Amino acid sequence: MDKHTSEKKVQAGMLVPLLAVDDLFCERDERVLFQNLSFRLTGGQVLQIKGGNGSGKTTLLRILCGLNDNYQGLIRWRGELLANCVEEFRDEMLYLGHRVGVSKVLTPRENLLWSGHLRRQISADEIDVALAKVGLQGFEDSQCFTLSAGQHQRVSLARLLLSKARLWVLDEPFTTLDVRGVAFLENLIGQHSDRGGSVLVTTHHAMAVEGLTELTLGEDRKPRVSLS
Amino acid sequence: MDWTWFHKWGSPKWFYELSGKWLPWLVGAMFTFLLIGVTWALLFVPEDYQQGLTNRIFYVHVPVASISLAFFPLMAMSGTVFLVWRMKLADVVVKVAAPLGAWFTALALASGSIWGVDTWGTWWVWDGRLTSLLLQFFLLLGVVSLRTALEDSEGAARACALLSIVGCINVVVIKYSVDWWNTLHQTSSNFTLAADQANGPEIWLPLIFMIVAVYLFFAISLILSTRNEILQREKRAQWVMDLVAKS
Amino acid sequence: MSAVRSTLVGAVLATLRRDLLIAYRRKNDLLNPFMFFVLVATLFPIGVSPEPEMLGEISAGVLWISALLASLLAMDNLFRADFEDGSLELLMLSRHPLYFLVLAKNVAHWLVSGLPIVLVSPLIAYMLNFPEGAYSTLVLTLLLGTPVLSLLGSIGVALTVGLGSRGLILAVITLPMSVPVLIAGTLTVSQTLEGASLSGYLAIMGAMLVASFTLAPLASAAALRVSVN
Repeated sequence: MDKHTSEKKVQAGMLVPLLAVDDLFCERDERVLFQNLSFRLTGGQVLQIKGGNGSGKTTLLRILCGLNDNYQGLIRWRGELLANCVEEFRDEMLYLGHRVGVSKVLTPRENLLWSGHLRRQISADEIDVALAKVGLQGFEDSQCFTLSAGQHQRVSLARLLLSKARLWVLDEPFTTLDVRGVAFLENLIGQHSDRGGSVLVTTHHAMAVEGLTELTLGEDRKPRVSLS
Repeated sequence: MDWTWFHKWGSPKWFYELSGKWLPWLVGAMFTFLLIGVTWALLFVPEDYQQGLTNRIFYVHVPVASISLAFFPLMAMSGTVFLVWRMKLADVVVKVAAPLGAWFTALALASGSIWGVDTWGTWWVWDGRLTSLLLQFFLLLGVVSLRTALEDSEGAARACALLSIVGCINVVVIKYSVDWWNTLHQTSSNFTLAADQANGPEIWLPLIFMIVAVYLFFAISLILSTRNEILQREKRAQWVMDLVAKS
Repeated sequence: MSAVRSTLVGAVLATLRRDLLIAYRRKNDLLNPFMFFVLVATLFPIGVSPEPEMLGEISAGVLWISALLASLLAMDNLFRADFEDGSLELLMLSRHPLYFLVLAKNVAHWLVSGLPIVLVSPLIAYMLNFPEGAYSTLVLTLLLGTPVLSLLGSIGVALTVGLGSRGLILAVITLPMSVPVLIAGTLTVSQTLEGASLSGYLAIMGAMLVASFTLAPLASAAALRVSVN
């Protein structure tokens, strides 16, 4: 009991990491994607997750954001187990996946209005400002099937501007962006980090972001070991 | 409370070893009951002159039909155990029970329609019981094909567990609604069990033997296919490799 | 900038609005189930018999089976596009209970695929020589029954949304589950024709609706969590 409380104090004194991952183990189709994976993510930290194709980068991100719960190990958000603080976690986390979550028949404004309302109360003006910032001024009311893949990506980037999330989880956000888009996103990530926000990002692109930390997956891949 | 038994039960290896010890006894008991039941039912039960010789299929149909009703509850229970506690053995049961249940249901349907030839003079009548069984057969095929279609083993396991639970609730609703439908349409009289007419022990005692035999057969098939599935899943585990090396 | 969290009602209404808007923009999806219903119902007089008496006898069943098949055909639109473009992930990562959001999607889906069928059914019924005096019962049973079909179907769709070809498997899963609704619907019509009191039958259908309204989205939400993995 005593030990437990003192541990808590020490943790509080040392600044609890936003996200703490301990001994993560994930197996897919009888193949171990990662095991004994542990890391910490603190406020202001930008962590780039690297690894070859099929090394489980996307799976890791989906596990961390709560879409995939096929894992063993402990994931803590602000010191509390993820399962016990799902609502708080979802409030503070924003995930942008491979599939950008932009409906093609809706306009960028309508898309953002809906996804915004899933998180917080949002006004059309805020959305227009965000769309202008991501370079979609003049496209607010065109249906998204008239836009390019890169522009879809930009619509989803506008979600970063509209949310108050502390943690950004970005899966290959650079793939469809042009040079200016890449610079814009790098800048955005930098600003977010300066404000104390954290970013988990997978990309093959060499990011120009200050204080970037890295985590490489798939270096100690082993064949499946039986548990019994 | 001591939970070790629970974890033990969850271990495929433990189940494999224990069931290996049970199997000979179960098989022996099944053949004993089956032999007694079959000879009694076929040779010594007085012939029901109203329904003729075919009536004896009743000794197959009733046990098979009653056990085929057990599959969805079994799958739903195992599915719940799997979803809540992630017990792998429970998923193995859900997986092997679905095709097995489809076979048993098909057998019940076939024996029911053979029985129907004498009772109704036709192979198929939309009788309440047969219709419910047919729908249950389709639902079981649905679970089987969902398992085949989903390649991701973990996802398929959970999806099938979920579908088993939904299906179990549904089978009950189907049963009641089909009964309701059947009484209102009155296309045919329901089965009148020979046992109801002449309630003597010479009629129902062999039935009990047959029921026990078929239940044992069900248990044995379930255990055998579970063991088979365990070996496939654990093929890279050391204990399975040792087992293969020994044989 | 205000950062007030959205309310559950706000999120549900936004989802409802969005799905209705998408349906409005994709008029094909809106029209297909409706057309399908009319087409299937048309096949029966051609395939069975154009004789009015015979048609009148089977018309309730024909209408119900057509509605069942049309709702099955329409089901695929429920989660598929959202799954493919990633909107489903946004829905699942919202802080609001997925149960209510799925329910909102179900309601929107029924409004665009089920309700038109209910509304056009008296017309098709007339063409099938549907017995007079049961029109209101027919519409009422369809009104109570088609949402149940949608709600049950959504479980099947949620389970199979990740599959490439899911046409047949969806039918195998969903159609047997819909049988009780079919039975309740057609029996209610035939029994009122025989002079039975309507209220008991409608109570059964109402109970089915309430049960599937409360339970089916639970199963759908759980199935989505499995499928989107």
